[in-house]
Amino acid sequence: MSPLPVGLLCGALLVGSVALSNPLSVAACAIAAAALLWAAPPPRRTYVWFAAATAALVFVANPFVGAQGLTPIWSGPHIPLLDTEITQEELVFGLAAALRIIGSSCAIAAFVRLADGDRVLSAVARVAPRSAMIAALGSRLLPTLERDAEGLALAARARAAGLTRRRQAAALATPLVALSLERSISLAESMEARGYGSGTRTRAPQQPLDGRERTLTMIAGALAVAVAGATRTDGYRYYDLLDNPFTGAGIAASAGLLLLAVAAIWTVRWPR
Amino acid sequence: MATLSLRDVHYSYPDGGGAALDGVTLEVEPGQLVLLLGASGCGKSTLLRAALGLVPHFHGGRLSGRVVTAGLDTREHRPGAIAHRAGLVFQDPEAQLVMRRGDHEVAFGLQNLGCPPAEIAPRVARTLESVAAAHLASRDTGRLSGGEQQRIAIASVLAMGQRLLLLDEPTSQLDPQAAERLLALVTQINRRHGVTVVMAEHRTGRVFAQADRVLVMDAGRLTFDGTPGEAARHLAGSAPWLLPPVTQAFAAAGSSDLPLTACDARTLAPATPRRDVPDGMPGAPAVAIENVHKRFAEIRALCGVSAGFGAGEITALLGANGAGKTTLAQIACGLLKPDSGQVRGAGVRGYVCQNPAHHALRETVADEVAYALENLGVPAGQRTTRVRAELERFGLEQMAGRHPRDLSGGERQRLAVASVTVMRPSLLLLDEPTRGLDGLRKLELAELLRRLAGDGAAVGVITNDADFAGEVATRVTTMDGGRVLADQASRHLLAGGGPFTCQLGLALGCASLDDAVSLLTAAREPSHV
Repeated sequence: MSPLPVGLLCGALLVGSVALSNPLSVAACAIAAAALLWAAPPPRRTYVWFAAATAALVFVANPFVGAQGLTPIWSGPHIPLLDTEITQEELVFGLAAALRIIGSSCAIAAFVRLADGDRVLSAVARVAPRSAMIAALGSRLLPTLERDAEGLALAARARAAGLTRRRQAAALATPLVALSLERSISLAESMEARGYGSGTRTRAPQQPLDGRERTLTMIAGALAVAVAGATRTDGYRYYDLLDNPFTGAGIAASAGLLLLAVAAIWTVRWPR
Repeated sequence: MATLSLRDVHYSYPDGGGAALDGVTLEVEPGQLVLLLGASGCGKSTLLRAALGLVPHFHGGRLSGRVVTAGLDTREHRPGAIAHRAGLVFQDPEAQLVMRRGDHEVAFGLQNLGCPPAEIAPRVARTLESVAAAHLASRDTGRLSGGEQQRIAIASVLAMGQRLLLLDEPTSQLDPQAAERLLALVTQINRRHGVTVVMAEHRTGRVFAQADRVLVMDAGRLTFDGTPGEAARHLAGSAPWLLPPVTQAFAAAGSSDLPLTACDARTLAPATPRRDVPDGMPGAPAVAIENVHKRFAEIRALCGVSAGFGAGEITALLGANGAGKTTLAQIACGLLKPDSGQVRGAGVRGYVCQNPAHHALRETVADEVAYALENLGVPAGQRTTRVRAELERFGLEQMAGRHPRDLSGGERQRLAVASVTVMRPSLLLLDEPTRGLDGLRKLELAELLRRLAGDGAAVGVITNDADFAGEVATRVTTMDGGRVLADQASRHLLAGGGPFTCQLGLALGCASLDDAVSLLTAAREPSHV
């Protein structure tokens, strides 16, 4: 898809995840971003694992590194450098921080999976053509490298190699590097054979937005406005005592964000 | 003025090997379709690179003599400048794709040439349509099958519309129908638009008669230059494996008339009562696959496939690119787990990957062949003997100490096969083993597979080369869309006039060269007159 509507949509969710303070609104952004990633084409597993693991780590670690809040839940033995008095405020703050991580990670991942890489680079090329070409090659070579690693592992297993993960990585590193060097040389040769670097390149014609992309742009714009509006009415405090998150403004902002996100996901999944 | 002119060209790569081009002198006139033949590593690819100036500008090395391409002397002009007048499609499609989307890949060259933006989109669409790849426009080039990538690679050069088109084995990864379409397109571009074409090709069946000239290379030298008819007579005695299968059959049968196409062969073939040989009983399956399903994300690779690989049989798996052949083979070898269904069978199973570069894990050719034996725990003494024998069997003994990546494409392919057959597997599956192999090596591979099957192994060959399948297979399984379409004795499928019919099948109704020669010889005997 065009990077414009996808960037606007994911950017709004990213800003919402980071800038909003009401845990309800933060949760709404996280759910919306995770659902958007789910609607994107695979592979998605690595992004989900990264977001979930980082969020879990932050949630678990926050009560032990923070020393705030007036509603203690549990007190542990004294351990140097750690605060072993866990408060309700620390837990909720940690949960909100974890949701922020999930929201921002999933929004970035959704952009990577949904936006057409070539169109992103074509947009960058208008400003920095050489850097865009290097990025284009990198973005193509990385998946190729991954496939080569799979191919080498397959060829090894086809010859009775019972490879453990560590041994597999060690055994394949050298041939993989050699293969990637070979590929880069072939690619450079192919580029030169097709006239790359021979003169002024024509800029790629900008592809017009199709109906689905125009609809998504409108929804993403509305979502960005909703996030901007929510930040104005959002004055939630975690410390010293938790504010009530279930305010009219908080519920309205969260519901609005979720509704717009559902519309955006429906548009993304809309068959061409 | 000649479109391509080489005058006494000598060239050596910078690694210090022998002469890759050794005194080549050649003039290709505008509008000619030239077919370049020769064994693997004889210098065909180097000649094509020299025509575009990649040799020596990109590769380095020492070049003497003069190469003039479309009026540009390659000593004075770099490949980027020559690319405005000549285009080269390389052998390995995956290695030449730059962009992620199919249509962006085709637009890449046009952008480099400074084509006006308004012209790019229609030219891209037109070219993709012409190679039957319009549906690949928005697909990720890295996730296409080999044949699909090859179509995009060809389109990306055709779109640039140069006066000289250089093609390095353009059909090596295409299924028969796609290869037919591509060669028809190349012929059309040549005949209608006057584009000069120089094509290196091992599968000569479709293109030999279409060529205006045939060039033969050997060890960097141009050894023959003539019309297809003259080339057929010249090669019949010296290197018949370079000729189309029908021409080979008539030459081997001692005929003085050498047909170049299936159509000519049908005209020349004496009327002979066809011997209806009954099918042999299929061998006991070494591996049986029952109702197997496999899915990759949203793609259904296999949908309830049942098939078997019989002990002592050679089964060819044929089908369009993306039909599910590789997935089936990997499941049969235990390298992939099916989502559902069963695979029955025992013993060592060997699989030779589609890309021979993936079989280059060690530092020397000998170590590469020994790798599987080390994994199987074969004692060092036995290992040395078996490695030596395998290297000899594949003609690799002179290269035992070389690095696998220093070998030519054909040599790498042989090494990949040797590195697996050294295990003496009870089931051996080869994925596109003829890619990059010349006719002689194909015949040798066919002989080797027959020997392995003769020793009781079940052998399976995934191939797009119907002529090779006809030569080697005893059974043929055809696939499409993740399903098995047919599973029959090879002569029925390959000689029956269907979409997978090989050239000998079209001409003489038989699948292999031996059958064709027997048929022609019998027809010439007095009892049949």
